Amino acid sequence: MERAMPQAVPLGQMEVLQALQRLHMIIFSQNVSPCGKFLAAGNNYGQIAIFSLSASLSSEAKEESKKPMVTFQAHDGPVYSMVSTDRHLLSAGDGEVKAWLWAEILKKGCKELWRRQPPYRTSLEVPEINALLLVPKENSLILAGGDCQLHTMDLETGTFTRALWGHTDYIHCLALRERSPEVLSGGEDGAVRLWDLRTAKEVQTIEVYKHEECSRPHNGRWIGCLATDSDWMVCGGGPALTLWHLRSSTPTTIFPMRAPQKHVTFYQDLILSAGQGRCVNQWQLSGELKAQVPGSSPGLLSLSLNQQPAAPECKVLTAAGNSCRVDVFTNLGYRAFSLSF
Amino acid sequence: MEALTDYEVIRKRLLIDGDGAGDDRRINLLVRRFIKWVNSGSQEKGYSQYQRMLSTLYQCEFSMGKTSRMYDMNLREVENYEKIYKEIECSIAEAHEKIAECKEQILQAKQIRKNREEYDALAKVIQSYPDRHETVKELEALGKELEHLSHIKESVEDKLELRRKQFHVLHSTIHELQQTLENDEKLSEVEEAQETSMETDPKP
Repeated sequence: MERAMPQAVPLGQMEVLQALQRLHMIIFSQNVSPCGKFLAAGNNYGQIAIFSLSASLSSEAKEESKKPMVTFQAHDGPVYSMVSTDRHLLSAGDGEVKAWLWAEILKKGCKELWRRQPPYRTSLEVPEINALLLVPKENSLILAGGDCQLHTMDLETGTFTRALWGHTDYIHCLALRERSPEVLSGGEDGAVRLWDLRTAKEVQTIEVYKHEECSRPHNGRWIGCLATDSDWMVCGGGPALTLWHLRSSTPTTIFPMRAPQKHVTFYQDLILSAGQGRCVNQWQLSGELKAQVPGSSPGLLSLSLNQQPAAPECKVLTAAGNSCRVDVFTNLGYRAFSLSF
Repeated sequence: MEALTDYEVIRKRLLIDGDGAGDDRRINLLVRRFIKWVNSGSQEKGYSQYQRMLSTLYQCEFSMGKTSRMYDMNLREVENYEKIYKEIECSIAEAHEKIAECKEQILQAKQIRKNREEYDALAKVIQSYPDRHETVKELEALGKELEHLSHIKESVEDKLELRRKQFHVLHSTIHELQQTLENDEKLSEVEEAQETSMETDPKP
C-alpha cells in the first residue's frame, strides 16, 4: 500500500515545512470557473489552487483528482476574496486586485493579466481588501476593505470611478441588491449600509447591534456576512444571524445559532450559513434549523454553490475554512468527499 | 477431403445428439427394426416386428411434433419478450419525463414555500404592533384632550390678560393720583416759600 512507505523514510526539512504549512493553512475564498468545471481556492499564504470538479465528481475519480491541478503564488499576502467574470478570475487580498485568465490559468507559470491598487489616502500602510463584488450592469468591480471605503473600478478601463465613504471601521462583506442597483456593505462598526450606485450616496443604514433582539454584546458588533434577496437580507457575525426586511428595516427572524457565522447565502427556499462550528447549517425562513451537515474543517469561512448552467453535473456546494481541505457536498444532506491542497 | 467431410459430419452429428440417448438413437432403432421386419420369415414374428416398427415410428413422429411445437413456442416467446422490452423502454422514457416534471414542480413548490415563509415572517412582525383601529381611536381621544386643554389654556390666558389690564389701569390711576398729590404738595410748598419770603422781606 502506498501509505505505509513514508513512515519508514525519515522526513527531511522540506517535508516538515510542507506538513506544517498544510497544518496551519486557512482557505479564505473560493470561486467557480464560468464553465463550471473548475474551482479556485485561495489561502492565507497567497496561493491559489485550481481543482477540477468534473474530474473529482466523475465515476472514475482517483486520489489524484482530489488534489489541485495547479497551484501558484498569486499574492504576497492572504487571498481574502475572489470573483469571476466570464473570462477572468479576479483575486484580491493585500491591497491589490489581480486578474487571471481562466483559459490560461491551468498552464504552468501563469502570469496575472493586470493588477490594480485603489487610490488609498496614505501610501504608508496598504489596507487589505476583504471583499470583491461584480456589478454586471455597469461592468464594474467594487472593492472594500481596510480603509473603510467602497471603491468602484470600471472593468473596461481600469479606472477607479467612485469612493463611497460612510463606514467608521473596516468593511467585511459586500452584497448586491439586484432590482434597484444598490450595494450593501457590512463592517466592523456593526452597521449595514446600503449605497445607491447611481447617486453614489448612502441610502439606508441599519445598525444591527442597536436592536435588542439580535445584538450579542459579548460577541461584539461586527457584521461578518451578508446576503440579500432584493427585499430581504440576512446578516450575521457578532450579533445573531437575523433575517431583515429591507424596506421597513425590521428584523423578522432570528436564527438561534450561538456561534458567529462567517458566510451566509440564500438558496432556493433555504438559507445556508457556516461559521465557527464544523457544520453547514440549513435554515428555513421561519427560523427553524432544517439540517446541520458536518464538514471536515473545525471552522468554515466560505461557501460556494456551483450553479453555472454550463455544467449541471458539477452542481455542488463546496465549503472551506480553517484547514487545507475543501469539502464537497453533492447533495445538501451529507459531505461526499474533500479536495485538499 | 474425405477426412474433412467425415469430421464435419461427425461434428454435426455430435452437435445434434451427442449423448446417443435421443432422436438419433430412435431413428437408428427404426432402421434396424425395418431391416429385421424385412428379413423376418414367419407371419407372427413379422407382425410383431411390424408392430414394434410402427411404435418406433410413432415415437419418432411424436418427438418430432414436440420439437416443432417447442420451436414455435420459442419463436413466440421471443416476440413476447421483444414486446415487453419495448414497453419497458417506453415506461422508462415516461418515468424520465415525469421525474423532470416533478423536479420543476419541486422548484415551484419551494418558491411558494419561500413566499409563504416571507409572508409569515412579516406577518409576525406586524402582529406585534397594536391594531390600527385602536391606535386611531387613541389618537382621536388624544386629539380631543389636546383641544380641550388648549381651550382651557386660552380661557386662562384671557382671564390673566383681563386681570393684568385691570391691574395696569389701577396702577396707572394710582400713579397719576400720586403725581397729582406730589404736584399739589410742590405747589403748596412753593406758595409757602413765597409767602415766607414776602414776610421776611419787609416794606422798604
